[in-house]
Amino acid sequence: MATSVIETIPAHLKPFVPSPIPTTVQTYGTSIWGWITTTDHKKIGALYLFTALFFFLVGGIEAEIIRAQLGGPNRHLVSAETYNQIFTMHGTTMIFLAIMPLSAAFFNFIIPLQIGARDVAFPRLNAFSYWIYLLGGLFISIPILFGHGPNAGWFGYAPLTTKAYSPGINIDFWVVGLQILGISSLAAGFNFITTIINLRAPGMSLMRMPVFTWMAFIVQFMIVLAFPVVTIALFFLLLDRFFGTQFYEVASGGDPLLWQHLFWIFGHPEVYILVLPAFGLVSEVLPTFSKKPLFGYPVMIYSGILIGFLGFGVWAHHMFAVGMGPIADSVFGVTTMLIAIPTGVKIFNWIGTIAQGQFKATSASLFAIGLVSLFTIGGISGVMHSSPPADLQQTDSYFVVAHFHYVLFGGSIMGIFAGIYFYFPKMFGRMMDEKLGKTHFWLTFIAMNLTFFPMHFSGMLGMPRRIYTYDAGQGWEAFNQTSTWGAYLLFVASLFFMYNFFKSLRSGRPAGPNPWGAGTLEWTIPSPPPPYNFAVLPNVTSRYPLWEGKQADIESARINQQSGRSAEELGIVLPYNTIKPFLAAFFLVLMFSGLIVGHWLIFASAAAMVLAFYGWLTSPLEPEHH
Amino acid sequence: MSTATVSHHYSSTGLANRKIAIWAFIGSECMLFVSLISTYLIYKDRSVVGPYPHTPWTDPSTGHVYHAILNIPVTSASTFILLMSSLAMVLALSAVENKGKPQRNLGERILGNSKLWLFMTALLGLGFLGCQAYEFTSFVNEGLTIKTNLFGSTFFTLTGFHGAHVTAGVIWILSMLFIDMKRGLGPSDALNVDIMALYWHFVDVVWVAIFTLVYLIR
Amino acid sequence: MIGYNRLRRFAPLGVAAVLALALAACAQSYPNSTFTPHSDLGRSIDFLWNRLMFFGTIVFVLVEGALIYVVIRYRRKSEDVTPPQTHGHVILEITWTLIPAAILAFIAVPTVRTIFETQAPAPANSLVINVYGHQWWWEFEYPEYKFTTANEIYIPKGRTVDLVLHAKDVIHSFWVPQLAGKRDAIPNHTNHIWFTPDSNMATTVWNGFCTEYCGDSHGEMHFRVVTVTPEQFASWVTRQQAPGFFGPPAAPPPTAIASASAAGAATTKSDSAAPAAASTAAPAAAPVAPVYGPTASPALLASYVLPHSEVPEYAIPHTPLPDAIKFDDKLTGDPAAGEKLFVGAGTCNACHSVSGNPLAVGTIGPNLTHVGSRITIAAGMYLNDKAHLSRWIKDARIMKSGVLMPTLGKGQYDPQTKATMPAGLSDQQIADLVAYLQALK
Repeated sequence: MATSVIETIPAHLKPFVPSPIPTTVQTYGTSIWGWITTTDHKKIGALYLFTALFFFLVGGIEAEIIRAQLGGPNRHLVSAETYNQIFTMHGTTMIFLAIMPLSAAFFNFIIPLQIGARDVAFPRLNAFSYWIYLLGGLFISIPILFGHGPNAGWFGYAPLTTKAYSPGINIDFWVVGLQILGISSLAAGFNFITTIINLRAPGMSLMRMPVFTWMAFIVQFMIVLAFPVVTIALFFLLLDRFFGTQFYEVASGGDPLLWQHLFWIFGHPEVYILVLPAFGLVSEVLPTFSKKPLFGYPVMIYSGILIGFLGFGVWAHHMFAVGMGPIADSVFGVTTMLIAIPTGVKIFNWIGTIAQGQFKATSASLFAIGLVSLFTIGGISGVMHSSPPADLQQTDSYFVVAHFHYVLFGGSIMGIFAGIYFYFPKMFGRMMDEKLGKTHFWLTFIAMNLTFFPMHFSGMLGMPRRIYTYDAGQGWEAFNQTSTWGAYLLFVASLFFMYNFFKSLRSGRPAGPNPWGAGTLEWTIPSPPPPYNFAVLPNVTSRYPLWEGKQADIESARINQQSGRSAEELGIVLPYNTIKPFLAAFFLVLMFSGLIVGHWLIFASAAAMVLAFYGWLTSPLEPEHH
Repeated sequence: MSTATVSHHYSSTGLANRKIAIWAFIGSECMLFVSLISTYLIYKDRSVVGPYPHTPWTDPSTGHVYHAILNIPVTSASTFILLMSSLAMVLALSAVENKGKPQRNLGERILGNSKLWLFMTALLGLGFLGCQAYEFTSFVNEGLTIKTNLFGSTFFTLTGFHGAHVTAGVIWILSMLFIDMKRGLGPSDALNVDIMALYWHFVDVVWVAIFTLVYLIR
Repeated sequence: MIGYNRLRRFAPLGVAAVLALALAACAQSYPNSTFTPHSDLGRSIDFLWNRLMFFGTIVFVLVEGALIYVVIRYRRKSEDVTPPQTHGHVILEITWTLIPAAILAFIAVPTVRTIFETQAPAPANSLVINVYGHQWWWEFEYPEYKFTTANEIYIPKGRTVDLVLHAKDVIHSFWVPQLAGKRDAIPNHTNHIWFTPDSNMATTVWNGFCTEYCGDSHGEMHFRVVTVTPEQFASWVTRQQAPGFFGPPAAPPPTAIASASAAGAATTKSDSAAPAAASTAAPAAAPVAPVYGPTASPALLASYVLPHSEVPEYAIPHTPLPDAIKFDDKLTGDPAAGEKLFVGAGTCNACHSVSGNPLAVGTIGPNLTHVGSRITIAAGMYLNDKAHLSRWIKDARIMKSGVLMPTLGKGQYDPQTKATMPAGLSDQQIADLVAYLQALK
């Protein structure tokens, strides 16, 4: 038993008899039409996962080029122009096309299962969100292949992005592309808010909700409130570039700080949008592998909410060098320090979860430990920026690059990997290879530190960020060389992951409903879940129905874990498959691209889009109930 | 509009999904308009050339005198029209909800006529849009376009954005009216009308904020 | 268990990596380090940094220590044990909320104090320097002394300098890591950063950088700050205030310093370059007759400029010459002919000023009045010597991405317009211009 990852249901849960692990594993089907027309949150979640991993690879290749260029002084593997496009797209890709959608993959797949729902509130809107993401992602990513990639950095400060200083079409793709991607996130936000508020199974009160769903819930509110602000900032830029307005025109009295404020009012909540889902995943993984409920559940929830609130009040700490004056600097400095408190509480509670537990090292739990240890470093350097005078030496140097990679790689990516290893069996019904997984973890952990830790030094030793090369003799060579070798190793680590992922998808060991002995609702149903998820809606009486549940929980779990019954047999109504969300998304993206291609395309695709929406709104979601 | 069916799915709150979603949507829209209005206020009095909203301006190169752009009386009228449309929307919703109840006199027949009130709402919405079209045209004739100065850019974007919301609302109302004429709306459609009404009232409330902050406060 | 065996196996590797890093760190010098501040502002920041580092280290050790402890102490030895199902501990949770709050108070108080101290208006007798950020170079104006220079400033030790930051196009940011933190230069805004360079440090050069991404050549928007004694500063000011004049022959060209560090083949190159440089300087070495403006008095000729031999290695750019631009380095130029070209066929005066020459009043590019005495060209990207300057004039757009400086060499390819220049300057004309610019000390 010691070498096996398959575990039995905890001993204290006597009345529950787990069904035997099946020898065959259901798949989601290989019909392309089936995938394009799907409205099943699980298939959409899988689509998000595959697409986001693809973009993660693209962003990773961009990162490798950056590191190859900076591996030594005065290197010109790529020109300054190309380098600028690559670092811009690295940031844009990783934030909007990799980490956010990786989180969205989990939102889609896990939220309905955790709250005991049969789908999200608006299945077709969910498909629409995904297609917008895919098409918008391609829209913003493809230009770089032709040398016209966006090149003003991921936060595209005006007036550099205005027509006067960026006359090419590079920025057009960026501003229009981000506008498109915003629609995807907003639509998903409304959908998940409704889902979590309204589709919780009987007894699933808010304070019984799994922490991942809670963090996702907070994130949706942040998306819904933060994205409109950047939508407006981008809309101004779009009007400036295409219709000659003056919002960011310096000569007309426009204020370059308008962009910065609007962008960071979105941009700082965005950081928590990127990292809170990973916190949620780790909060599921650590209790499971410690055989112990999450330590301080209510405090974990409240601290998440507090982070969400404070996240809207600290944006100007990205702007300590712009000269806002001593009062604004002080206020934003202190609020930024305050946000460290709820974040610290989370870290202590994770440690408290492991303490006195039975911690088992698996790929998933190791990545979770990776998050706790590495995010701590990112948090500490974050507090260092929160002191505005100290930040004047740190901001826009490689120290900041080190900081946010500890937050986004050490936090988000580590947490997402923990989530992938943890939920892969639930998503695809098969186990991932633990040996390869642990190798992946150790290589990633070492390579990650090798890559990003030296950047603290290169930054504090005077290296500005976003420079395409640097001169010899500045004292930065050794650190940059180390970072570059670390980045190469990181790529090797990712190869282990990719091999493991695809191998396990094809031939991993069948997992059964609950391979990890976890306690929450999603583990009461077969892996992968049947299209309807739950044969009977569970009656929830506790936070961990499989650990602490009463008779009602166990009864529904006993029924729900059986596989092989169709929705028809059970009399469950499922949404129709439909192509209309895809068509609506396709024409919407085509409409936006008309801004660059030609105005005729705007009107033509707008008409087609309206038709698609009309067809969508006038056709029923699902068969009439009998 | 999808044909309304009584939801047979379980819901935790007893509310319809769409009702919750529209509230989330309205919250999001608030941030959209807050950003637009804030930008207008931040850029107020920062235009380097006129014309200006509340004060006259003499073009130094031509000597042409531009008088204060904003036409408060016309906009007050259009604000009144939009507020009246909200009232009509309330009556339309109540008519749909009470469809099928006995109508004992002329007054109740008028109040219970959902087609009439939907039509009135749309008409008043169109009236507001007409005022805005008149306003925009006269501003352009007086020499203020979206390209002229910061005031022009922020003003037209803010009010134009609101106008686009009103336009979308009018189309929504007219579609509902079309359904009403085709098959008649009843209490089972009340949810759809209710959601539409929420959106419409929101758009009205935003206008009250814009009217106060942009037109009335100097 | 597999995980811990692996941990044990990898642990020495990790330690080795950290040690290697530490060794690498000791073996080098750090000319742009923020840890060795040379001004009052730098030290205020460093004080906060030390405090942040102190608490940061404590938190780091405690948290990571606790994490490693619980992971090892509570590792699973048997699958059959169910641990106590605790849900939390209120007192513990309150404690670890309050302790970070207390630590943050120790950081917040000095932070706010430092903010108000360092952002107060600069003292009245400060040396004001107006800084203008351009894509991708820096313009410096000394309003007190009424002159303008580019990419290189001299500041007197012990006197507060108040940098007033402006931007002419997009946002830039001004950073001299050894002297002060960053401050952005923003269009339509005026920013200040002031500090007093230590009076007891050496006369030397500090590297400065643009740290706000500002387009194509953001990575090559450097400048140099020379900290000098008040006497040296006063002397340097008299030179800068004077109209452009031809200075004494060039000192041993800094190429020698640069090539000393370059490896192998560079030796032969400097052998051939040295005589060429000497002969270039020859016409100017004759009795110094200024071509225009007031007679360059011996006092003016003797006025202070940091000798190239005293420029530290890290302030000398090593950017390699692009192979794409061919130039005959053996050509000898005539400064007088160069001056005519400057305002004639070269059309340099459309963008550049040379004070004292009424025809050269362009303001788009850097002021070139005393360009011959500067250490670098192209905002710190290239060494200011004949080989680099000639190629820069011939095809600046290949030398530096996106620059406004046009491609001037006849038949040269312009990467921005993607066309070959049909007309333009011959190599001899370029050599003349170089001779003129190098003579402008």
